[in-house]
Amino acid sequence: MSKRNLWYLLGSLALLALLLGACQPAEPEIQQVEVTREVQVEVEVPVEVEVPVEVQVPEFPEGTSIHIVQWSHFVPQYDIWFDPFLEAWGDANGVEATVDHVGIPDTTAALTASIDAGEGPTMVEVLFAPSAFVNGVQDLTDVNEQAQALWGEQAASCANSSYLPAVDKWYGFCHSWIPDPADYDSALWADAGYPNGPETWRDLLEGGKAIKDKTGVPLGIGLSPELDSRMAGRALIWSYGGSIQDENENVVIDSPEVVEAVEFMAELFNNAMTEEVFAWTPASNNQGLIAGELSYILNSISAYRSLQKIDPAAADNIGFGPALIGPRGDQAASAHVWGIYVIPSYVEGAELEAAKAFLLHLTANANQAVFNSELYNFPAFPSTVPQLEGWVNKDPFGSRPQDKLALLADALNWTVYLGFPGPANPATGEVFGASIIPNMMGKAALGELSAAEAVCEAHAQIEDIFQKWRDDGLVGGEASPDCAVG
Amino acid sequence: MSVETVRPSRFRLLSDNERLLGAMMLAPAVLFILALVGLPLLISIAFSLSDVTVGDTSLDYVGLENFRRVIRTPQFQRAVINTFIFTTAALLIILVLANILAVLFTQDFRGKWLARILVILPWATPTSLGTLGWLWLLDSKFSPIDYVLVQIGLLGPDTLLGPGLHLNYLGREYLAMGSVVLVHVWRLVPLSAVILLAGLTSIDQELIDQAQVDGASGLRTHLQIKLPLITPIMAIASLFAFILIFTDLVVVFVLTRGGPIYFTQVLSMWSYNKGIEGGALAEGAAIALFFAPVLLVAAILILRTVRRIEVT
Repeated sequence: MSKRNLWYLLGSLALLALLLGACQPAEPEIQQVEVTREVQVEVEVPVEVEVPVEVQVPEFPEGTSIHIVQWSHFVPQYDIWFDPFLEAWGDANGVEATVDHVGIPDTTAALTASIDAGEGPTMVEVLFAPSAFVNGVQDLTDVNEQAQALWGEQAASCANSSYLPAVDKWYGFCHSWIPDPADYDSALWADAGYPNGPETWRDLLEGGKAIKDKTGVPLGIGLSPELDSRMAGRALIWSYGGSIQDENENVVIDSPEVVEAVEFMAELFNNAMTEEVFAWTPASNNQGLIAGELSYILNSISAYRSLQKIDPAAADNIGFGPALIGPRGDQAASAHVWGIYVIPSYVEGAELEAAKAFLLHLTANANQAVFNSELYNFPAFPSTVPQLEGWVNKDPFGSRPQDKLALLADALNWTVYLGFPGPANPATGEVFGASIIPNMMGKAALGELSAAEAVCEAHAQIEDIFQKWRDDGLVGGEASPDCAVG
Repeated sequence: MSVETVRPSRFRLLSDNERLLGAMMLAPAVLFILALVGLPLLISIAFSLSDVTVGDTSLDYVGLENFRRVIRTPQFQRAVINTFIFTTAALLIILVLANILAVLFTQDFRGKWLARILVILPWATPTSLGTLGWLWLLDSKFSPIDYVLVQIGLLGPDTLLGPGLHLNYLGREYLAMGSVVLVHVWRLVPLSAVILLAGLTSIDQELIDQAQVDGASGLRTHLQIKLPLITPIMAIASLFAFILIFTDLVVVFVLTRGGPIYFTQVLSMWSYNKGIEGGALAEGAAIALFFAPVLLVAAILILRTVRRIEVT
C-alpha cells in the first residue's frame, strides 16, 4: 500500500469513528428509575395448551391446497408457533397448507392485487376492517354463524369489523383483536401525584403538563398521518361523547362534543407535548417510551414486551392504564388492530371449504394463539380462552408485579372499533386512511384553524367520502352537507 | 452467353429494406413501452372515469366526478403546490451544486478518486434505503445532527437555535419541507454532476486555450465559454431531475408521509393515500393523472433538446 493510500485509509477510519461517535443519542434528561430488586426476567417457553373444542373437518379431495398471506407478527413467537400449526393441520386433513408472512402494508396491497387479477392466495389476513373489499370477497356468513354457535358471542369490536349491514354480508372472519391500553412511566406519574397513572383526559393534561414542566419529558399522543395517531384521535373524540358517524351511518362529526375534543387536543399539545408528535411514525411512541423520553403513550403491549427483553428494569417502570375517561364519563378506545381473514371471490370448491375449516380450527385453538403472541392477541370469542383472566392476572411472561396486565381482563368493556357506534364501513376506512382526524386535530393544535373551523373542514371531506360510498350502496345513512358547528 | 439470374435471399431483401428493418428493430422497444407505459396509462384513465374500488374492479362510467371530488379537497390543493415547490427548489439547488462538483472534478487534486466515489454513492444507493438513513438522521429524539449541534453549543438552553435539545426537523412545517428538498438534492446531485461532467469534458480544449490566451479568467471562461456550450446537456440533466423529483413517492412516504398535517403532501403520496390506503382506486387514479400534462411537456422538451444536441 502506498503512503498516500495509507493516509486515505486512516482518514476514512477517523471519519467513520467521528460519525459513530456522533450517533450516540443525547443523555435523556429524566428522572432515573430506582431499581432495588435484582434484575431478572423469566420468560416461560411457550407451551401447548389444552384445546377446548374439537371441530369436525370434512374430507377434502386429493390435491386440495390453501395458501395464506398474513402479516409478520410483532411478536416473533407467534409466527414460530403459527407456521407448524398450519402445516400440522394440513397434514392431518390431507391439505397442502402454506403461509407467507409480509409487512403490514403489503397485506392490503396483496389483497387488492389478487382481487384485481382474479387469482392469488386463498386467504389474506388484514389488520383493519377490510369492508371496502366487500364485493370482491366471499360471503363468510356460514363460518361466522358456525363459530358463534360453537363458542358463543363474538367480541363486538370483531363483529363490527367483519360484517357490513348495508349489504348484510360477513365479508371477513375476525379471530382476534389487540387491546390498545395506555403505557406510562410509573415513576414520573407517581412523582406528579398519579401513582396509578392518569384516569381521565383532564388528569392526562394536568399531570402531563406538570411532568413536562418539571422534567422536560413530554407526552406522546401522535398528530401525524399514521396509524397510532389515527387511533388516538378517535379515542379522544369517543371519550368526549362524539363520533364520526352515528349507529345509522350518518356523519355526526360536526358536534359540540367533537369541537370540545379538538380544543382539548390543542390544549394538550401546547402544554404537554412537542412538535415531534407531528413527525410520528408507528414506531415513535415505542422508541420514546423505551428511551425514557416520553411519559405516556397509547399503544399495544408489544413495546413493553420488547423492553422486557432488552431492559427489564425499565420495563418494570412501565405502567398500563385503560382508555381515559372523558368529561361526561365516556370511556372508549379503539382496538389496536384486528386479525381478520378474508377469502377472495375467486377461491371456490374444496379450497374454499378447507380455508373455512382452518379458520374454525384456528379459533378452536385461540388459547395457543393468545399465549404464543405473549398476550398481544385477544380472542374474538372469549369462551375459547378461559385461561386469559388467569394469564393477565399472573403474567406468564415475567411482568413485575405479576398482575401488571390485569387491567386488560376487562378491556372488552372499553374497546370499540373503527366506525363506532356504527359499523366499520368503507367510508370510515377511507376517512381512516386519509388521516383526516389527526390532521383536523393538528390544524387546531398549531392554530391554523379554530377547533370549529377544523371540524367543519373535516366534516366536508368526510361527508363527501360517505356520500360516494352511499352511491355505491355500501354505506347507509343520509347526507348532511351543512356543518352544524360552523 | 447466358446470364444466370441470382435471386436475392429473403434475409438480403429484409436487410436492404430500411423501413422494414427499422420497424422490426424498433418493435421490441415499442411493445415494451406500450405494455409498461401505455397500458397502465390507459387503465389509469379508465379508472379515473369510473367508480372502481379496491374491492370492486367493475368499471361503471361516472364522467369527471372523481376529478371534481379530488380537486376541491385542501389536501389535493396543497399537494399540487408542494409538488411544484419541492421540484423547483430542489432543481435550482441541484443545478448549482452539480455545476460546482462537475467543475471540481475536471481539476486534478489529491483524493479525487475518493471524492468521486463519495459523491456517486447517494445515486448508487436505493432511494428508499438512503431516505431511511435520513429519517434516522432527522429523527425527533435521536438525531445525530442535533447531538452535534448540542455539542458545539448551537442547540440547547441559551443557544442560537433555541432552548430545546431537538429541532424536530420533520415535525415543523418549514423544516419538514426543507428536509424533503434536502433529500431530493442529496440523491440527485450526483446524477446531474456526472451528466454535466460529461458535457464539460467534451468541450474542445482549443476553445478554452484561446480564451485563456485572450486573458479570460477561470470564472469568465466557465460562465461565457463552458456554460453556453453545455446548456443543452444541462437542460437534459435538469429535465431528468425534474421528472424524478416531480413523480417521486419514496422520499415523502418514508420521511413524512405528507405530514406535519399536509405540509409536505405531494401528488404521488396523496394518490397512494386515497387509492391504496383509502380503497378509492378511482380517485387515486384521478390524482395520479394530474402528472400527465406536466410530464408530457417535460418529455417533449427532453426530446427537442436531445435533437438539438444531435444537430449541433
